[in-house]
Amino acid sequence: MAKKLITSLAAVGLLLTIPCGCKKPFSDREQDNNVFRFSGSGSPVTMDPAAASSTYENLVVTSIYDQFYEYKYLARPFELKPKLAAGMPDVSDDGLVYTFRIKKGIRYADDPCFPDGEGREVVVQDFIFSLKRIFDPKNLPQGEWVWRGKIKGLDEWKATGSDYSQEIEGLKAVDDYTLQITVNEPFPQLVYTLAMGYSSFVPREAVEHYGKEFSLNPVGSGPYALKSFTTRKAVLAKNENYREEYFDLEYEGYDPETQAWVGLEVLDGKRIPIMDNVEAHFMKESMTRWNSLNKGNEIHFGKIPTALTHMVASQLKPLKLKPDYAKKFKGMSLPDFGFVYMSFNMADPRIGHNQDPERDRRNRLLRMAIRKAFDWDQRNQRFYNDMGIIFPGIIPPRLDAHDPDLPESYVKADYTQAREYLEAGGWTAENLPILEYGVTATVLDIQMFEQFRGWLEKIGYPREKVVLKTYASFGDYNRAVKQKEVMLIPMGWNLDYPDSENVLQLFYGPNQSPGSNTSNYDNPEFNKLFKQTKTMQPSPERTELYQKMNRMILEDVPTISGMTRNNPYVWYHNVVYYHSDSPHGSLLKYAYMRPGSTGEGMN
Amino acid sequence: METFQYAVRKLIYSIPLLFGVTLIAFTLMVYFGPDLTYSLLGKNASPEQIAEVQRELGYDQPFVQRYLMFLKEVVTFDFGNSISTGEEVTSILARTVPISFAVALPAFIISNILGVGLALLAAYHRGGFWDKSVMIFAVVGMSVSYLMIVIAFQIIFCTTYGLNWFPVQGWIDPPPDYIDAGFFEIAYYYWYYYWLYVAVPTLTSIFVSLGYNTRFFRAVIVEELNRDYVRTAKAYGIGNGKVMIKHVLKNSLIPIVTRIIISLPFVIIAGNLVLEKFFGIPGVGLVTYDAITNGDLPVVKAVVTCTAILYVFALILTDIAYKIIDPRISYSK
Repeated sequence: MAKKLITSLAAVGLLLTIPCGCKKPFSDREQDNNVFRFSGSGSPVTMDPAAASSTYENLVVTSIYDQFYEYKYLARPFELKPKLAAGMPDVSDDGLVYTFRIKKGIRYADDPCFPDGEGREVVVQDFIFSLKRIFDPKNLPQGEWVWRGKIKGLDEWKATGSDYSQEIEGLKAVDDYTLQITVNEPFPQLVYTLAMGYSSFVPREAVEHYGKEFSLNPVGSGPYALKSFTTRKAVLAKNENYREEYFDLEYEGYDPETQAWVGLEVLDGKRIPIMDNVEAHFMKESMTRWNSLNKGNEIHFGKIPTALTHMVASQLKPLKLKPDYAKKFKGMSLPDFGFVYMSFNMADPRIGHNQDPERDRRNRLLRMAIRKAFDWDQRNQRFYNDMGIIFPGIIPPRLDAHDPDLPESYVKADYTQAREYLEAGGWTAENLPILEYGVTATVLDIQMFEQFRGWLEKIGYPREKVVLKTYASFGDYNRAVKQKEVMLIPMGWNLDYPDSENVLQLFYGPNQSPGSNTSNYDNPEFNKLFKQTKTMQPSPERTELYQKMNRMILEDVPTISGMTRNNPYVWYHNVVYYHSDSPHGSLLKYAYMRPGSTGEGMN
Repeated sequence: METFQYAVRKLIYSIPLLFGVTLIAFTLMVYFGPDLTYSLLGKNASPEQIAEVQRELGYDQPFVQRYLMFLKEVVTFDFGNSISTGEEVTSILARTVPISFAVALPAFIISNILGVGLALLAAYHRGGFWDKSVMIFAVVGMSVSYLMIVIAFQIIFCTTYGLNWFPVQGWIDPPPDYIDAGFFEIAYYYWYYYWLYVAVPTLTSIFVSLGYNTRFFRAVIVEELNRDYVRTAKAYGIGNGKVMIKHVLKNSLIPIVTRIIISLPFVIIAGNLVLEKFFGIPGVGLVTYDAITNGDLPVVKAVVTCTAILYVFALILTDIAYKIIDPRISYSK
């Protein structure tokens, strides 16, 4: 028995060690493989464009599907360009009718859902079908809000039962390549919305063929087709039917002054998509992601974990890597296309709007005191490696209506002034209301709460009156916010398109919870201005009004804002890639790995 | 025949148990599980849209109706489709359970065999150097955080900071399209990558579970060593090795086998969440974790049900094993 046991153990031990000594199967051929591997911090759940809402999902969806428009790869500020569209739209004089044309001869990727498995030509009727899917509740769509109330007859189509055979007045296929969209009132953001993943051209055959599993079997006309998908990774392979397109460095908005160090010149004239295969790895654990990236032969592009930033970088703004890492990687810090902020629930009369004008005045002073105690610099240092970009108001620096002249005092902590506001409002330790700070039950969120409570203690707010209210998941937290139950609401917002309307709508009265106006701010004057601007085309006049609305938010203090987070990314020297977060989607088609000149440690 | 009748009888008795488990699990999921509504809503939800999503998810149905639907799913073993991905739940299980099993099995076998071996060694040298050494090792294995061990092993074996022998994360991909190889080459491909990806998770898992196993097995064996028959056997001049293996180990097998078999359902279904998460293994543990956090009820229901069913089978298997170990055990009342 003992002998057998020892033999078994030895055999198992031997089996475990064999792979180290054996030759890697098929390794010679494998090294020729043309694969770009990257990892973000999240993972896509669905690849159905109607439901795909996260940045990770958008990146994959926009690589597989075509939309009318997309953003130029390198142009900053962001600039639209046609993707499937043949050009920019014709807009009627009254701004109500948009005519879009798409390129002819574009085909979907080959897939068993088509007769004989051959992808058919893309036509504008596919877009009409796709938009109907977004207004069909059966698909649990997430993109409906983008076009709700905007396109003539679309909401009525939904209200009458989402019958796909029924035509919609505002969506007219003039021919297979021309679409006319009629909007209820001028909608200047329409073109932006047609660059979002939600506006993908989806073939009806695929939806019918795959049924409920359509989200795992995407069929598009984009540069890549999905080869495989698991909870661990998505493998994308070049769509063999993809049209002939070549990279034009100048057209994409190349700026040699700021971008030459990336080595993007090598892309000029290359056919798109540049890589045959792309792998998106989903690693939620930051240390695993870093180990995998640092190893050399696994992922090629990723983020430096916050805890290791100082070990890897000698300077963060702008990012400068330490010599050992600089030998291996290129790196840059990349701001989010959005911001983080903390709102007050204005529907709560203890802190927000109050019927009693006197209490309303005092509440405003209380909010001002809390804002004055909120130390953005310290939050940035403690939690974001001091890399965040702090700005007053709600229009972040990368939007054209951002006002650089706003006084910094709106985002600078001043405890003396905060105490003065409390005094002016007649607030004392005894009559101050209990503040409930809502967060998901994560260590990071709770630490942020403790920091916040510390600031309030400094202005004389009794510790026991600043209360933590935790929720098990973001879904639970979101439910409480949507039901107006949370008093202090830390939030983040990712912009959907580069128009300040996308952030100003966060404070538009009719958008109150369960809408995106989580602060439930309702100012008739603001609402009036918002209604006025939302139908205006971009102009200096509109920018001025946007800035006026921004100042109103600063005066009324429904929120404490804000900061754009900044993430440090690194990639190997032989990789040529210029990352961008939302609203960019389809970036993977530009990724390139130089043959032969590998970074240190690469296979 | 007696064993078969006993197994059938146990299966019938287990129906109320399954019923109770599913009822408790379902109640917990409905009342305390995450509400998926607000995760599935777009950015600017309207009250109508909230109602639509709740209707589509079946949240507007009365509890009894929802539970009856759940029971129907259990009986037909058709749990529908995942709310998040749309994939059929049974196909998710079919895809991920074998992976979790393949990851957990080597560690399960090795840690149990090693555990018994070390326990025998420690018990035999009770109070001596070997006993103390093994116990120190066991206590260290039990005390250090699992997470720390995963991170440390990953750094030691998988990264450029350490030995860099194995991949940091991943799982076997299908062989590349260009491969035009025969059966043995393909088999070699899978075998090679299997061991490559499973080696470090296995070592980690062994390190963690060995402490618990060794301590438990040692306690059982020490208890057995105190019995009179051991003294008698030794008095008759039977060699120490023979006494340990043939008599002590054999007579300790019932609690040992119980522990091993009972842990099988968790190996098969529950997977090893931490390992799968850190090593990027697409097994059922990772899917279950995502399902719980996403509120994907169909997947959670399927995992809970399968675990309960397997647990019942494990209990029956344990009883059958008793009879094999000790034929004197009777199944009749």
